[in-house]
Amino acid sequence: MTYAKSITDTILDVRDLHTHFFTDTGIVKAVNGVSFELRRGERMAIVGESGSGKSAMAMSLIRLLAHPGRVVEGEVWLEGQNLGSMTEKDLNGIRGSAVGTIFQDPMSSLDPVMRVSDQMIPPIARHLRLKPKEAREMAVGWLDKVGIPDAARRIDAYPFEMSGGMRQRVMIAMALSCNPRLIIADEPTTALDVTIQAQIVELLRRLTSETGTAMLFITHDLGLVSRFARTVAVMYAGRIVEIGPTASVFRKPRHPYTQSLLRTIPRISGESRERLLQIPGFPPDMKRPVVGCAFKDRCPAAHARCLEETPEAQRRGPDHAAACFLPNGLDDAPVAVAAVAHRTADEERPWRSLPRQDVLEINNLTRHFVGQSLLPWVKPPTVRAVNGVSLRVRRGETLGIVGESGCGKSTIARMLLGLDEPTSGEIFIQGTGQMVFQDPSSSFNPKMKVADIIEEPLVVQKRGTREERAGKVRSLILQVGLDPSYLDRFPNQLSGGQRQRVAVARALALNPSVVVADEPTSALDVSVRAQIVNLLCDLKEELGVSFVFISHDLSTVRYVSDWIAVMYLGEVVEYGPAEQVFQTPAHPYTRALLDAVPVLDPEAEAEREIRVISGELPSPMNIPPGCAFASRCPKVTPLCRDEKPALVQRRPQRQEACHHAG
Amino acid sequence: MTDAMSLGRSTSGEADAPLPRPTGGPAIAQRSAAPAAARSVPAFRGLRAVLANRKARIALMILVPIRVLTALLPWLPLQAPLQTNLRAMMKPPSFTFPFGTDRMGRDVLSRTLEGVKVSLFVGFSVAFISLVFGIVLGTVSGFFGKVVDRAIMTVVDIFLAFPSLLLAIGLVSIVGTGLVPVIMAIALADIPRFIRLQRSLVLGLRSRAYIDAARTVRASQWWLLSRHVVPNTIASLLVAASIAAANAILVEASLSFLGLGIMPPEPSLGNLIRDGQTYLEQAWWISTLPGVVILAIAISLHFLSDGIREVLDPRSRK
Repeated sequence: MTYAKSITDTILDVRDLHTHFFTDTGIVKAVNGVSFELRRGERMAIVGESGSGKSAMAMSLIRLLAHPGRVVEGEVWLEGQNLGSMTEKDLNGIRGSAVGTIFQDPMSSLDPVMRVSDQMIPPIARHLRLKPKEAREMAVGWLDKVGIPDAARRIDAYPFEMSGGMRQRVMIAMALSCNPRLIIADEPTTALDVTIQAQIVELLRRLTSETGTAMLFITHDLGLVSRFARTVAVMYAGRIVEIGPTASVFRKPRHPYTQSLLRTIPRISGESRERLLQIPGFPPDMKRPVVGCAFKDRCPAAHARCLEETPEAQRRGPDHAAACFLPNGLDDAPVAVAAVAHRTADEERPWRSLPRQDVLEINNLTRHFVGQSLLPWVKPPTVRAVNGVSLRVRRGETLGIVGESGCGKSTIARMLLGLDEPTSGEIFIQGTGQMVFQDPSSSFNPKMKVADIIEEPLVVQKRGTREERAGKVRSLILQVGLDPSYLDRFPNQLSGGQRQRVAVARALALNPSVVVADEPTSALDVSVRAQIVNLLCDLKEELGVSFVFISHDLSTVRYVSDWIAVMYLGEVVEYGPAEQVFQTPAHPYTRALLDAVPVLDPEAEAEREIRVISGELPSPMNIPPGCAFASRCPKVTPLCRDEKPALVQRRPQRQEACHHAG
Repeated sequence: MTDAMSLGRSTSGEADAPLPRPTGGPAIAQRSAAPAAARSVPAFRGLRAVLANRKARIALMILVPIRVLTALLPWLPLQAPLQTNLRAMMKPPSFTFPFGTDRMGRDVLSRTLEGVKVSLFVGFSVAFISLVFGIVLGTVSGFFGKVVDRAIMTVVDIFLAFPSLLLAIGLVSIVGTGLVPVIMAIALADIPRFIRLQRSLVLGLRSRAYIDAARTVRASQWWLLSRHVVPNTIASLLVAASIAAANAILVEASLSFLGLGIMPPEPSLGNLIRDGQTYLEQAWWISTLPGVVILAIAISLHFLSDGIREVLDPRSRK
């Protein structure tokens, strides 16, 4: 941080950048006049929902746009060189040397058939004019710096021999290896688990402040911004609507869009039972010309002037600017912004008179996937995905299951619904279970209309006459907050949030007692996520449906759940009431997970001591004999490596599997 | 040629078949099938989308008039295909004989049209037979897997080891020449490709969340296959089918050219070209003009398949 303050010259200067995509159905104006400056060593975050033009903007800087896209106007100056007027050949010299890039998906950004060394060494040799041997030493040095164990040997590995986190480290090493002055990172941690994300962010922060490299960091995760960035630019409909120092923007956001965004996210700390704010409507269609302010249709403070004039960025403080006519955004709105209603839990609901019994009970559930043995006398490899899990869910309550990928949470979901057979153990469901899936794009048959999709469970189960079913479908779609006119549409005519509503309607068709939701919000934008979370909470209140909510997004899980089960390597390591588990985590893994999640307060983030747990999940094919978490635990003792801790109750309602808890 | 006239029924019959999702494909080649497709809305949408595609429109602008002419052949002011005319032997193209005449004074145009009728019938029959067998066996193989899959795929791999023309020649030399044996031989060579394709499509669909969703409400296997799996593969198969039709037409012409297909005096594009080959220097039109017609049909069918694919997957354009 001291480095950034001492040298303040501008490294990147973007002036009035316009990028259009010339598609068959019209010109998509993805970027509409973006200007900003980036100083040496500065870390700037670009945030915005999907379609806001943030990636198109970043790729425009070094002209790496996909086919129909073209920069139509504007200048990009990198250290006094105009990148816009450069030839493709000169630009190639800049890419990779002066500017490094890190992409979102570590699975596809490395060439799968080339060794890491073959992808890493030639660029270093070329850009820094080194001999192959020196370049190799340098590459090994960088891999070592980004935390690849045994780098001298691992450099000759193929990408498929590495985990996602390792590959992202390799990408970072590659981006930094030619001493770039600027790094462009497009959602570099989105595909990773929270603990790995925390490690990568820490690494980027440390390395960029050591080398004084400036960084442009594209993300949709506001928590990460508060942990990582010094400056933040909020993009909406291809323009920067607010830009300023992170601390100042988070403390007092001035643009209504920023203000709304910050309120749609459930907090990880403190009391949280208010309804989430949801931003109504959709972002504008970028194929049509935008008249006036692009946010006017979704802004509660919009007035006559917003309909005609486009607000320009105006100064709101030191380095802080917002593109809104109202100096304080929503706080200046003449009409009071609809107050966030508190949940009315005490309202009379018919289901409340029913006994609060368990509707779902799992006893000692295991699921082992046995592979194929190469030789008949060799024991076949076995993946122990679920290893003795017992849980129960009462009527009208939500159980949240959290854990990183590979912890067995989705396997449990599949077994609950009969999509997979348990190896051993029992599942009792009173009534029926239904599922809401993660990916709204593959959860519907593209050839079926919404009406047929919602009706399908009723038809399969031969419930009612055709008219009765049609009536039920109508009431279901109203229940999830969609207009019945949507019944005639096909899934590809719906937005992500609307599809997830239809998925909920389909899950409710048979009046299930339990709905299993596997990552139902992780594919959605933040503003839409709030809508779905509110919907699920409302349905729980109204119908007394129990939910099993599976997610890696801790703040959302905390918001919706009454009970939390934290899973690690196929086992529950901590179980208890959601509030208590989050406020006083007992298991070191739970604590590590909570530490890994950034809070939405840059000042608190700066003070917070982040204990990033090192290492990665052990392979579920080869689970260690003692405590599964022993390889990463900061409190590990010899006892942990020898003896497996059982899930025991030490305090009322709380259970944890740790020798050293309490 | 009542055989060829039944073509219309066989394609619309497919639209009504238990596999419930008729899409534009074969229905377009045959106007009479369009109303059958119009009954179900998605198919109608598909048809309209295909018609809106430029390549598909060009293909249909060639295929439809050719097919209409062959149907109207008895009423056209042309000499009958089998009738000889010793006073007009080897006449070059003229107003009375637009494609000229051959060495026995037969009208090349009416013989070509008759040959086209046979070719199209062969093409569409092969495409239809391959489609049906491909869907059934490929779906079974991909969806149920295990022993069935291994058995089917072993046979398929054996068949795929031979080039399709060679396989067809071999089969024809066993079962004999004539229309039906030729169709059977070409189809047998094509079916393994369709099984492969369908199997890979089914494998991709098997893990879709909507299949899981239907499973959670205890839907039967038949429900899953007929509602969710097969309808989502039909479109890709139609692309393959239109290429297979073009290929079948060329293979039939090759077989007839080699004297293994349709036997003279019954005309077929292949044996027309063979007849004219001897006189190429004195009477170029006898071979060349039927050849041009084959080319036009084959190219149109490829255009049609491109068109269908572009409608299904807009990214493939460009």
